[in-house]
This record gives sequence, structure tokens and C-alpha cells, in this order.
Amino acid sequence: MRVGLFVTCLVDLLRPGIGFGALRLLEAAGCDVVVPGGQTCCGQPAFNAGDTASARALATRVIDQFEGLDYLVAPSGSCAGMIKVHFPELFGEDERMRVRALALADRTFELTDFLVKFGGELQPPGDFRGTVTYHDSCSGLRELGIKRQPRQLLGRMAGVDLVEMAGCEECCGFGGMFSVKYPDVSAAITDRKCGQVSVTGADAVVLGDLGCMLAIEGRLRRLGDERTRVLHVAEVLAGEDC
Amino acid sequence: MRSQAMYFKVRAGDKLADRLLQQNLAKARSKFVDARAAAVAAYDGDFEALRSAGQGIRDRVLENLDLWLETFEERARARGAEVLYARDGEEICRLVTGIAQRHGVTKAVKSKSMLSEEAGLNAALTAVGVQPVETDLGEYIQQIDDNEPPSHILAPAFHKSREQVADLFARAHGKPRKTDIPEMTREAREVLREHFLSAGMGISGGNFLIAETGSVALVTNEGNGRMVTTLPDVHVVITGIEKIVPRLEDLATLMRLLPRSGTGQDISNYVSVLTGVKGEGDRDGPSHLYVILVDNGRASLVGSEFQDMLRCIRCGACMNHCPVYQTVGGHAYGWVYPGPMGAVLTPLFTGLGNALDLPHAATLCNQCGVVCPVRIPLPELLRRLRQRQVEAGLRPRGERIGMRAWAWLARRPRLYRLATRLVVRYLNWLAEGADRIRVMGVAPEWTAERDFPAPQGRTFHELYAQRRRTGEE
Ligand code: SF4
Repeated sequence: MRVGLFVTCLVDLLRPGIGFGALRLLEAAGCDVVVPGGQTCCGQPAFNAGDTASARALATRVIDQFEGLDYLVAPSGSCAGMIKVHFPELFGEDERMRVRALALADRTFELTDFLVKFGGELQPPGDFRGTVTYHDSCSGLRELGIKRQPRQLLGRMAGVDLVEMAGCEECCGFGGMFSVKYPDVSAAITDRKCGQVSVTGADAVVLGDLGCMLAIEGRLRRLGDERTRVLHVAEVLAGEDC
Repeated sequence: MRSQAMYFKVRAGDKLADRLLQQNLAKARSKFVDARAAAVAAYDGDFEALRSAGQGIRDRVLENLDLWLETFEERARARGAEVLYARDGEEICRLVTGIAQRHGVTKAVKSKSMLSEEAGLNAALTAVGVQPVETDLGEYIQQIDDNEPPSHILAPAFHKSREQVADLFARAHGKPRKTDIPEMTREAREVLREHFLSAGMGISGGNFLIAETGSVALVTNEGNGRMVTTLPDVHVVITGIEKIVPRLEDLATLMRLLPRSGTGQDISNYVSVLTGVKGEGDRDGPSHLYVILVDNGRASLVGSEFQDMLRCIRCGACMNHCPVYQTVGGHAYGWVYPGPMGAVLTPLFTGLGNALDLPHAATLCNQCGVVCPVRIPLPELLRRLRQRQVEAGLRPRGERIGMRAWAWLARRPRLYRLATRLVVRYLNWLAEGADRIRVMGVAPEWTAERDFPAPQGRTFHELYAQRRRTGEE
């Protein structure tokens, strides 16, 4: 089973450990993992900004890079959602490209979804101990139905104690360029999320997307919370020593 | 109503700084959300299937809108109604003031009509000497508060606290201040009753138009709609051309969706199906019924990539569940319709260039899309509006060039790797060894409100290449 790891541009730039965590988990699940060298970004920023031409150009590159592999797996519901749901839409008029996009969409998975579907009884190698609360990222949840998958995997870890927060499905306020265009509105939305996290008293808020991570961690620290850790689910499952 | 939608950013900032409003929003925020969740959970059927049925009904109508309108017109006429068409807000005002003058009306009681807000009808009526009196409690509160526009399509005074309303009532009614809600409603009712009995004309919206019977369906919670439509001798309905449903049975389906989605009620307190004028032997009802069907930008959406928006049944669920609406309230949006549906409708009805901020004032979280009872893909429509802005050259130059430059770079992996290595080093230099950046010169907007977590050190691809090399040695 040859799995192409789509690292995502933010993981590449900011938290490579998440990428290596994903790598370790996929290998532990028995996959032959390939990291296509020419990958950069899925094009979602351009797509959401209304720049369709740029989005198409970047989507075409992703398809070129990954279509020869059995699967594409990304440690991000947002990027996986872009590839699975929006790539085919992007090529609505170009039948040939649309067929290629659909074929890739069929074989594209968010990391935890993939591990639950194809990873058998994978025992997560991570050694995290403590209470965590899980934030459901919008795209993962509402585009791909990622909900029980990360919880199921975390549930296999003896040291992890999951406490649900109120409003775990509510948006964190990031919204890509939204957070730059309306920083004040964005921060006010994030404040509610931070409050919901704090109430649980969890040692860490765990999530599956870098965007939410930037928003929540950035705001928690600015508000003076130095205690609550903000971790990607891959970091918890694989261990942070990747 | 003149649109202020161009100023969303500034208005949103003002709303965030308004302590009282923030308190009120915090209190009201979860009310409709929790109510909808409970109503959907308690529904003894498949709510998702119901949503699909609702979508189907609305789509079928829109496919043959002209034919359904003809049918409605014919049947409504047969029951004594006069059916009129208005192209825009101005024409609504002209028609309604004309009707008022023809019947010698000096006072009109109104139940809620968003179309009358689109048209700015109250000002037009006042100008020709007709006193408009809002009788929906929320609309009434807004009217006595110096005609402040509504901030929510179902609950016009959603942004006000009980204390604020108590002050308003004491001032407007000249009676001792009350804060007990039933007492306050009783007081408003007493004032309004006088108006009901003395008005020559009733003006209402119409939630649905039923083609097979030529009827207008009205959904309200306060009973004021019944008074407005039956007491005065003249009744004017103002509604959008897209509000048609083919059969009474379709109304039943949509009525299962509308109150549950909006307020979380199984059924609203009043559902009226009004057909024609007072018949022989009828005790009440108007002798004259006018139905004004309004275009105001709707017809141009039929057959366009925005047609889905015409399915909207104005339930309010999208705004109730929207993180942005919940944070800044309805007035920030600057025109008649707030929240996600407003962010789509305002640019479509008032011009793409007149509401540049609105399609961007959303995180695209799709919470609206999953609660919309007729499955309108709101985030997708917002994204399409963003595309139209780019195509029409309406985005700032810097934004367009920045996006294109970044996309150009992202297509050249070697160059991109080099650039990301430099960016990571630059960010780490900014962090000065800490785990976060407090002030970021290149994106000051980001660090205005939050820290930026510092990168771990090297890019993934840099480290991966390194590990591969050492692994092979
Ligand atoms: S767009 Fe959908 S959710 Fe929003 S008001 Fe219309 S019908 Fe209701």
C-alpha cells in the first residue's frame, strides 16, 4: 500500500514534527510512505480568495504529484477537504481534469480517518499522559465527517483522558485570510473557544488542523494562558519526539 | 433602505467595542441554537430527509417560476385579489402609497415584512401623510427607538436587553417603567389595540404563496398578523416573487422545517392561510386585497450560479449559527439582511461593488450550510462572490498581486523550498529564541490580537531530505 504523504504548507513551515508524526503513524500502520518532492500547497488560500486560476494551477500540480500512488493522506481536514471536495469542482468545465481530480479525491484521506479505516488495530506509539479536549475543525468535521476517528485513536492510549468541551464543533475563528482581514472579529470568536477549552481544565487541546492551532495557541498565549498545550492529534498519537 | 454594507469592517469594530451590545449578544447567543438542536432531536422522522424534501420543493418552483406565478395570479384574482408586480423598492413605495391614497387611508398597521425594509416603505408612507405602525413586538420596539433597523430577520430587537426595552417603553408610553416581560407585552398590546381598530389599511409580508389556491401563508408568533390581515378593510401583501410553492401540501412540508430551524418550535403560534377578499356572509376579512410581488434583483438570479439562494425561506438559522453574526450582531452587515444569507443577498441585490466586505466576512466554517433547512450552500455562494470580485477587478491591487506571486512561487518547488527556508529563519529570528512571536512586522494584523507560534526550526522538507541522506549513509 503506497501512501503519499501530503505534508501541507503550514506543517512544512511551522511544525514539521506533525509531518514526521504522520509519517511514523502511517508506517506503524504498515504503509509504504512516499513524500513526493515537488509538493507545496493545495491551493486553498487562492481558492478561498476567489483566485480560481491560481487555485487550478496548484491543484493540477497536486494531481500530477499524487495520482500515481494508492492513497493521498494529509494531517489536515482542511487540505484533505480541499482535495476531496473542491478539486473536482474547480475543473467543472474541463472534463479530462475533472476525471483525474475525482480519481484522486476517491483516494484522498485525512490522517485519522485513514488510520481508522486502514490501520487495523494500530496502537498509537505516543506516550502522552494527561487530560485532553478535542476541537473539531470545521472542514474536517463538516466536509469529511471527521468526528469519532481522532477520538477512537486517542481512546486507545492508556495515558490519555478525554474530556469534551462545550461547543467543540464551533469554529475557532481562524478562517484563513479572515483572521488577517478582520483580526478583531476573529480574536473575539477565538476567545469563546479559549474559554470553552479553559473550563475543561485539560492539559492540552488537541486538534487536526494547523490553522485552528495558530488561532487558538496564539490567542491563549496572548491572553496569558501558559499552561494549556495546543497539540496536533498526530503529535499526541505518534509522540512528540518525531 | 440605504445600504451601509460598504462599511462592515468599521461597523464590526464599533459593535465589538460596544460593551452593552456584547453583553446582550452573549446572553442571546445560544438561545436559538439550543432550541433548534432540541427541536431537531425531538423530531419523529428523518430531519435530513425533510431538508432534502424542502430543497426539492423550492428547486421545482424555481425551475418554472414564471408558470407558477401565472397560476398563483390567476387563482388569487379569481378570489378577488389584485395582483401587482414591483420591479424595485421605489415601485413598492409608489404602489403602496397609491393604494393608501385611493382608499383615503391615514394609518396603516403592519406585520413584519422584510420587503418593506428593502423599500424603505415607512418613510415613503409618512411622506404622503400615512402613519405606519409596526405591530410585530420586535418591529414595534425598533420603530419607537427612532426607527432603528432590525438586527435579525425573525427577532428585530435581538440585540436589545429587557432593560433597554423597559426604558424605551417608559419613554414612548409615558407610563411607569416595567421590567416584567408579560406586563411589558400587555402594555404594548394596549397601545397597539388602538391602532388596530383605527387603521384603514393592513400591510403584511407573506412567508409563502400557494399557487394551487392563490393563497398567502403567514407565519407569526404574536397574533398581530391576524389582526393586520383581517381588521382593516384594505390588506396589502408585499412579498418576493420567489416565495411561491405549488400546493398546500408543500406548505405543510416547509412548515415542518421553518419553525424548527429558526426558533426551534415544532410549529409557530400562528399559521394563517389567507385566500381572497371577504366573501358574502364572512364576518371579517378585508374587502380589498392587494398582493404585490417584488423582483428587486430576484429574477436576475434565476438560472444564474446564485439561483440556490432563492430557495431561502427566511428562517434565520444561518445567522443564529454564524460565529461572525454571533460576535458582531446584525447591524454590522449594514442592510436589511444580516448573517450568511445577508452576506450573499446584499451584494446580489445592491451591487457587487457596494458590499465588498461582506463575502469575506465569514470563516467559511459551513455551520450555516449544515443547518439551512433548504440546503443552500452558503459558503460556496460566498466563495463565488469572491471570485466575481476578483474577475471584476474589485479586490485591492496588493491582495491580487500578493496572491498571484505566492501562487507563482508555489508552482516552483525549488524556489519555494529556498523561500520557505528563509521565511522560517526570519520568523525564528523574530522569535528571539522564544516559542512565539509577539510582533510581526510583515503581518501586523495577525499579531495585533494574538501571538504567532514560532516555527520549530527547519522546514519539513529540509529535515526530510537531511534524514534521507543520513539514513542512506
Ligand atoms: S439561507 Fe437557509 S438558513 Fe439562512 S435564512 Fe435562508 S433558509 Fe434559513
